[in-house]
Amino acid sequence: MTHKSQSVAYPYFVVSLLLFGLQVLMGLWLATNYFTTIPQSIVDAFPFSTARAFHTNLLVLWLLLGFMGATYYLVPEETNSELYSPKLALVQLGLLAVTGVVALVGFVFGWTQGRPLLEIPRPLDFLVVIGALMFLFNVGMTIIKAKRWTMTQGSLLAGLFFLAILYLFGIPFYRNLSVDWYYWWWVVHLWVEGAWELIAAAMTAYMLMKLTGVERKVVEKWLYVELGLFLFTGIAGTGHHYYWLGAPKYWLAVGGIFSALEPFPILLMVYDTWRDIKHRKEPMRPKLTWVYLVGGVILHFVGAGLFGFAHTLPQINYYTHGSQVTVSHGHLAFYGAYVLLNLTFYYFAIPRIKGFPGFEYDEKTGHTGFWLTALGVLGMSLAFAVAGVLQTYLERVQGQPYMLAAQPIRFWMFIAFVHGLVVVAGVFLTIKHLLTLKPAPSPASA
Amino acid sequence: MSEKLAKFIFWGGTLSSLALFLALTVDTHRQFDALTHADRLDEQVVAGKRAFEKYNCNDCHTILGFGGYYAPDLTRAYTRLGEDAIARRLTAPDVAFADSFRKMPKQNLSQQEIADIVAYLKWVSEIENHDWPPQDSTKRWKRSTENLLASATLSPGAALVKQEDCLACHKLGDAGTAKGPRFEWIGARRSADWIASFLENPEKQAPGAAMPAYSHLSPEQRRLVGEFIVSLAASHGR
Repeated sequence: MTHKSQSVAYPYFVVSLLLFGLQVLMGLWLATNYFTTIPQSIVDAFPFSTARAFHTNLLVLWLLLGFMGATYYLVPEETNSELYSPKLALVQLGLLAVTGVVALVGFVFGWTQGRPLLEIPRPLDFLVVIGALMFLFNVGMTIIKAKRWTMTQGSLLAGLFFLAILYLFGIPFYRNLSVDWYYWWWVVHLWVEGAWELIAAAMTAYMLMKLTGVERKVVEKWLYVELGLFLFTGIAGTGHHYYWLGAPKYWLAVGGIFSALEPFPILLMVYDTWRDIKHRKEPMRPKLTWVYLVGGVILHFVGAGLFGFAHTLPQINYYTHGSQVTVSHGHLAFYGAYVLLNLTFYYFAIPRIKGFPGFEYDEKTGHTGFWLTALGVLGMSLAFAVAGVLQTYLERVQGQPYMLAAQPIRFWMFIAFVHGLVVVAGVFLTIKHLLTLKPAPSPASA
Repeated sequence: MSEKLAKFIFWGGTLSSLALFLALTVDTHRQFDALTHADRLDEQVVAGKRAFEKYNCNDCHTILGFGGYYAPDLTRAYTRLGEDAIARRLTAPDVAFADSFRKMPKQNLSQQEIADIVAYLKWVSEIENHDWPPQDSTKRWKRSTENLLASATLSPGAALVKQEDCLACHKLGDAGTAKGPRFEWIGARRSADWIASFLENPEKQAPGAAMPAYSHLSPEQRRLVGEFIVSLAASHGR
């Protein structure tokens, strides 16, 4: 950490980690809903739909707070100046956190926009927009005042700017369901396969520069290529969500072709990481930060790239669309691409914010946390995948009614739940480790 | 690779994809009205969509394949179930799903909201979306009409279905009326015995169902109808 105002990132990390903990707990409850029979009285009071709104909105909120915290950490260093207003950054965190809590309490009482992932009621949407504007203003002013522009912060800021713009498409009420879903994907798909990839690529490039000591010129050159491929495949690749919603048939071709190319930019990111490690000028320490960075890049490729590719072709998607196959891909992709990205950044930034000597920290429990979570999520995603293939065969190919086909799937949802327990254990260990991070024990006492 | 080439890849890739995407978006908007039958999208359908969102139905059910995966997809719910069966589920889910291992929350909808949601689901069921989902494929429904015509002379159950005018309320293939559930869907879910006993007294298995009793048929006749309906399930799959 070279600037005092960077430390404003820390409260962002803390709030986001607490929300992360709540998110995975809610996941366990959702899995329970699948393999047991929940009595009518509980279903009436707290239905699956409300719990799902919790699970997904918490995910989005904590990831966004993490991205924003990371930006506040990264921009002062990139511009070589203090943040325009650390106070405003704290007000913004307060506003977004309160909005999030009000939204969650509202869900319990049935206050919802009623559209998956965009359940936050419209009045609260405007608070989210205000929070986003405060953020963009703060970061923008910092850059304008410093007059120092780097490719890395440019890509990060562009990602966050588009993220905010695209959110607006999710706010109106659409009379026509097909049009509704068409623009729903401008938020959801263009976020995760557009704006968020800009953010992920920038954060990864920044950490690689700092950790390996490889020249900025080299890293940023490849960042351009990565981003070009991400956006080339990602924007038109939105078409893979337009196959069956009442849109013209050419989307089958456009979506199929562009999304078949989507794994390539991620593969390039894996290659970039590997090349930077090979040419590193610094030792790979602390080890845990590297485990996270490399683990994240690999699982990003597996979860988003491979699992996504597996059912993106229209001929396959006709049978797997809207089944547990989607759930499998969703979990591994979000974890690999974005959860690990944020956690890597926390392990990178917190020792620097706290000023640990050599930025090294006591990493013991952190490793256990990583492996429990990673293997748990992998096992869970495989259990969902088996459930999805079963569902696809029984319901979509054989034509069994939904509830009959759901019967044999209950076992696999139980297996997913068991892995979920491992995930929860790993996540709680990780949260505790990050929130109580200590400097590395000195060699003498070790 | 030079930095110039890297920048060219960035701008070229981004802008070409964006241009294609926006151009197709404009064209898609030109076609949406025809593909979704926007002329049938009246105020009641819109009111149904608002009610559907008010009760957060979409976080358990998928519709057009999007949403929660916890409950059946609703894209063709109207074609499958018909209006009475949908209304019965919305009125008293606790009764309709008393035997199910998965429950639906009782949300106390008004009669108006129920009618609106039925109208909404009817409109959704007619969206032309390349015949998705496969389990409710219209092409396959049509094939089963042909089966009925082919077996009508052979199967005494089919003759009874005609004699009792079941298709005045139920759908079979392309024929019939969507008041009650379609026959292929019942056939895939129920046994012949279940259907026979249901015909005698529907109130016993499905309290609140609009279905009249067919107690004037003999047990043997009721079983024949049940066997015929169950036999339709095979044509449902591939």
